[in-house]
Amino acid sequence: MDKSKLREGLRNNIVTIMFIVLCAICMAFSGYTPSYVLYELFGRLSRNMFIVLSLIIPIVAGMGINFAITIGAMAAQIACILVLEWGVPGIGGLALTALLTVPLASVFGFFIGKLLNKMKGQEMIGGMILGYFANGLYQLLCLFIFDNIIPINNPNLTITGSSGIANTMDLTRDGGMAGTLERLWRLPANQAALVFAAVIAVILIISYMRSHRKNARVLAIQLAALVIAAAVMQLEAVKSLFSMVQIPMATFGIVALLCLMNVAIMRTRLGQQFRAVGQNRVVANAAGINVDRVRIIAIVISTVLAGWGQLIFVQNMGAFQTYGAHEQVGLYAGAAILVGGASVVRATNTQALIGTVLFHLMFILAPAAGKNLFGDAAIGEYFRVFICYGVIAVALVMHAWSENARKKRPESALRTDAKA
Amino acid sequence: MLKFRATKQQLIASVLIAVLAVAMIGVGLYGLSARSSQSGLKLLEDMRLQAILNTAGVGAVEAYVDAERQAATQAVREAGGGMAEIREASAKAAEEAAARAEEMGIGAVDLSEIDTTPLGEALNELAAAQQAYYAEEAAAQALYIEEHADEAAQAAVDEAAADGPADAEGGEEMEMDLAEETVDLSGFVATEEMNRLSAVVDEAYLALCEEIKLVFTALDDEVLASLKPTITGIVAQQGDTFEMQYDRAFQASGMNPGLTGSIMRQGRTLAISGVGLLVLAAAVLFYIPLVDKMGVPRLIIGLFFVLLCLLAMILGLSLPTQLSNTLVRLGMNGVLVLAMLPGIQCGISLNLGLPIGIIGGLIGGLLCIEFEMSGWLGFAFAIAVGLLISSVTGLLYGMLLNRLKGDEMSVTTYVGYSVVSLMCIAWLVLPFTSLVMKWPLGNGLRTTIGLQSSYRHLLNDFLSFKVMGVTIPTGLLLFFALCCYLMWLFMRSKTGIAMSAAGANPRFAAATGINVDRMRIIGTMLSTMLAAVGIIVYGQSYGFMQLYQAPRQMGFLAASAILIGGATTSRARISHVIIGTFLFQGVLTLGMPVANALVPQSTISETLRILISNGIILYALTKSGGATRG
Repeated sequence: MDKSKLREGLRNNIVTIMFIVLCAICMAFSGYTPSYVLYELFGRLSRNMFIVLSLIIPIVAGMGINFAITIGAMAAQIACILVLEWGVPGIGGLALTALLTVPLASVFGFFIGKLLNKMKGQEMIGGMILGYFANGLYQLLCLFIFDNIIPINNPNLTITGSSGIANTMDLTRDGGMAGTLERLWRLPANQAALVFAAVIAVILIISYMRSHRKNARVLAIQLAALVIAAAVMQLEAVKSLFSMVQIPMATFGIVALLCLMNVAIMRTRLGQQFRAVGQNRVVANAAGINVDRVRIIAIVISTVLAGWGQLIFVQNMGAFQTYGAHEQVGLYAGAAILVGGASVVRATNTQALIGTVLFHLMFILAPAAGKNLFGDAAIGEYFRVFICYGVIAVALVMHAWSENARKKRPESALRTDAKA
Repeated sequence: MLKFRATKQQLIASVLIAVLAVAMIGVGLYGLSARSSQSGLKLLEDMRLQAILNTAGVGAVEAYVDAERQAATQAVREAGGGMAEIREASAKAAEEAAARAEEMGIGAVDLSEIDTTPLGEALNELAAAQQAYYAEEAAAQALYIEEHADEAAQAAVDEAAADGPADAEGGEEMEMDLAEETVDLSGFVATEEMNRLSAVVDEAYLALCEEIKLVFTALDDEVLASLKPTITGIVAQQGDTFEMQYDRAFQASGMNPGLTGSIMRQGRTLAISGVGLLVLAAAVLFYIPLVDKMGVPRLIIGLFFVLLCLLAMILGLSLPTQLSNTLVRLGMNGVLVLAMLPGIQCGISLNLGLPIGIIGGLIGGLLCIEFEMSGWLGFAFAIAVGLLISSVTGLLYGMLLNRLKGDEMSVTTYVGYSVVSLMCIAWLVLPFTSLVMKWPLGNGLRTTIGLQSSYRHLLNDFLSFKVMGVTIPTGLLLFFALCCYLMWLFMRSKTGIAMSAAGANPRFAAATGINVDRMRIIGTMLSTMLAAVGIIVYGQSYGFMQLYQAPRQMGFLAASAILIGGATTSRARISHVIIGTFLFQGVLTLGMPVANALVPQSTISETLRILISNGIILYALTKSGGATRG
C-alpha cells in the first residue's frame, strides 16, 4: 500500500522532480555563485509570481490552463498607455492604472468566458488562439485607433514620423510608476523572513481560534516550523547567501494576499461552485448551478488578476514592449504552474509558488549552463524555450493519458457516460 | 441549389442598393467612354494646354520682373547708392513690375483669344514623343530587371545572412511576404533607342517653345530651358494612367473642367464601386441561404476578397501581377493545406502538429544541399528523404495521438511547438558542412537558406507561360493538382473510406470491424508526410528554406486556410482545400499592396492576417460545439 502510494506520488510529481534535477545540473554547470542566483531569482519572483497565481481559479473551475491571460496583460498595458498619456506620476499613477485595469479586464474576461462557453472541452486551445486573435485586435488598437481616432498628445508615446503607439513604453520618465511598488518598503532577507513568519503565525493562530476542531498539536508543529525557519534565516551562513537580496515587501505582500484570497474564495459559496463545475458540469448543472455563469466569473477573476500581474511586471521592469510584452505571458505562467506539479485539473497556491521558483531558476541558469557545456549560449536559450513548450506538452499528454485510462476502467464507466 | 429565402426588408434594401449600383455603373461607363470621345480628348487637351501656358506664363512674369529689377539695381548702383538702397530699389522695382505684369497680362492668357491650333499640335507631338520614350524606358528597365534578378536574389540571401541568428524568444512573427527581390536600378544605362527617342522629345520641345514664345514675348530660351522639367512632367510621365494625367493637368491649369470632367476622372472608380454595390446587393438578397451554406465568417471573407479586388482596381494596382502572385501562393501553400485533410478525416481534428512533418521535409532539403544535388534529382531526393523521415515521425506521432483521443488539438499544438524548439537546438549542433547553409561565423545553420544552388523555382518555372499579363506557374499548379488527385483517389479507395468512417463515428466503425486505431495512424502519417512534401514545395517556390521558429505557426495557417474553404473540425473535402487556399492567399496577397496604398508603410496587412487566420479557427472551434468526439 505504502509503496504504491509512493509510486503514485512520484508519477504525479514527475515533472517537478525532473525539473529539480535539471535545475541542479544547470546550477552545477552554470558557474554562478549561489548568492547571485538568489539575487536574480528574487528579482524575477517578485515580478512573475502574481500572474502565475491568476491561473488557479480557472483550473479549479475545470477550464484548464487559461492561456487567455495574455488578454488580461493587454488590458493592463492599455491602461498603462492611458495613464502615461494623462501623465499621472508615481504610486498614484500605479494605483490609477490598477483601477483602470479592472473594468477593462472584466469586460474582456466576460467576452472570453462567453466564447469559451461555446467550446467546452477545448478551452485551452481556444484560449490560446483567442490570445493570438486578441493580439491582432490589440495591434489594431495601438497602431491605428490610438493616435488616429483617439488622439494621443504625449509625444513620447507615439512613433515619431508615423502614427500609432511607439514600440517601447518607458515608465521611468518624469516620475513614472517604474519601481514604485518595490521602493515602498525593502528589507534584507533575514528581516523579511521575520516579518513574514510573524504574519503567518498570526494567521495560523486566528484560524485556530476560529476553527471548530481545535487541533493544538498541528498548530504547535506549524509554529515550531515557522520559528525554526525564521531562525535559520538569521544564521550568518544563510545571511551571507542572501547578502545581495533586498526583499520588496509590498510586492511579496500582495502575492501573499492573493494566496490568501485564493484560499478564502474556495471557502465561499462561489468557490464551492467553481469546484463543483470543475469536477462535473452535468452534475453541477443538475444541482442547480448556472454552469456558464460560474465559468464566466472564473475567467473574469483570472483576467483581472492577470492584468494586475502584468502591471506588477511592467512597473518592476520600468519599461515594456508595447507589441511584445504580453505575448509569452500565458506560455510562461502556464509552464511555471505545471512545473510546480499542478495538472490541468488540479492546482494549488503551493504548486504555483514552487513552480514559479523552479521555472525561473531554470530561466536564469539555462543560458549560462548551455554556454559552459556546449560553448554556445543560444543552445541554452533554445533549451529553455523547448522546456517551456515541452513541460506543457508533457503535462497535457499525461493528463489526457490518465483520463483515457480512467475512462477505460470499468468502475468509472458510469461516470464517463454521465459526462458524455 | 440555393433555396431562396428573403425578408421584405432584405428585398427592399437589395433593390435600393442595386438601383444605386446600376446608376453608378451607368455614369461611370459614360465617363469612361467620354475619355476616348472627341469632347473628352478636347477637354484634357485644353487643360493640358492651359497648364503649360500657366507654367510658361509664370516663367514669363518672373523673367519680366527679373529684368526690371536688374535694371533698377543697375540704375541705383550707377547713381552711387549703398547696399541698403540697392536692396530697397530692387524690391520696389520687383513689386512694381509684378503689378505691371498683372496689368498688362503678361503672364495670363486666355485660350479663346489666341489661335491654339499650332500650339496644340506641337504639344501633342511632344506628348507622343514622350510617351514613346517612356514606353521604351519601361521596356528597357524590365529587361534589365529580368537580367539582374539572380543578383537580387543573391543580395536578398546575403541580407538575410547579415541579420544574424534569430533570437530564441522573439521571432514570433513569421515572414509572410514573398521575398521582395528589388533590383537595384543604379547600374541601369540608357539604351541607344532611348537616346534616340530622347532626342525626338527634345526636338518636339523646342518646337513647342517656338510656339510658346509667340504667346509670351517676354520669354527667352534660357527661361524655357529651365522650365523644361516642369512642362514635360505635366505632359507625360512613366507609367501614366488617365487619372494621373488628368490630376496633373487639373492642378497646374486651375481650370474648372465641369461635371463632365469629374465624371471622366472618376469614371473607373464609379463603375467599379457600382460593381461592388451590385455584389453587395446580391449578398443582401441571398443573405439567409448564403449564411446557411457558408457561415458568417466565410461570407465576410468572401466579400472582403471581392472588396480587395475592386479596391486594387480602383487604386490602379496591376491586377495581373497580383493574380500571378495569388496563383503562385496557391500552389506554394496548397500541399501544406492538403495535409490537413487526412488528419481531419481520420478523426484527429485539425492537425496543428504539422511542424512535425515540416521538420522532416526541411531535413530532406538540407541533405539535398549538403550532398550538392540540384535540379529535379535534388528535388526528388529531398522529397524522398522528407517522406522517409516524416513517415517514421508520423507513425510515432499517430501512436501518441491514439492514446489521447478527444484532446488532440491542444496536445498536438504543444507537441508541435516543443518539437520545433527542440529542432532549434538540433539546427545549431547538427554536423552540416555546406557553406551555403552555415553561418559564416559561429555555429549552426542560417535562419534562411537560399535554394538557388538546389531547386529554387523548379516547379514555378516548369512550362510556365503568360496569359494577359498573368504568369501561370504551370509546374507548381500541376504538382498541386497531382497531389489533390492522388488524395482524391485515396479517399475513394477502401482504406480511405474506412478511414473517413473511423473519423466520423469511431464506435460505429469499430462495430463494423474497422481497426480505428490503425486508421487514425494512417491518417496521421499521411498528414505528416504531406506536410513534408508541402514544405519542400513551399521552399522551392519561396526560394528559401526557413529554419528555427519559422515552422511553428505553419500549422495554424494551413488550418485556417482549410477552414476558410468550408471545412469543419471533423469534415473536409478537397474542394475545401483548393477554395480555402485560394481565398486565404488571395486576401493576403491583395491585402498587402491595397493596405499599403491606403495607409502607406503600415503593418495593417500583417494585423489582418492575424485576425483572419485566428478568427476562422476560433469560429470553427465554437461550431464544433466543444463536444469532444468519440
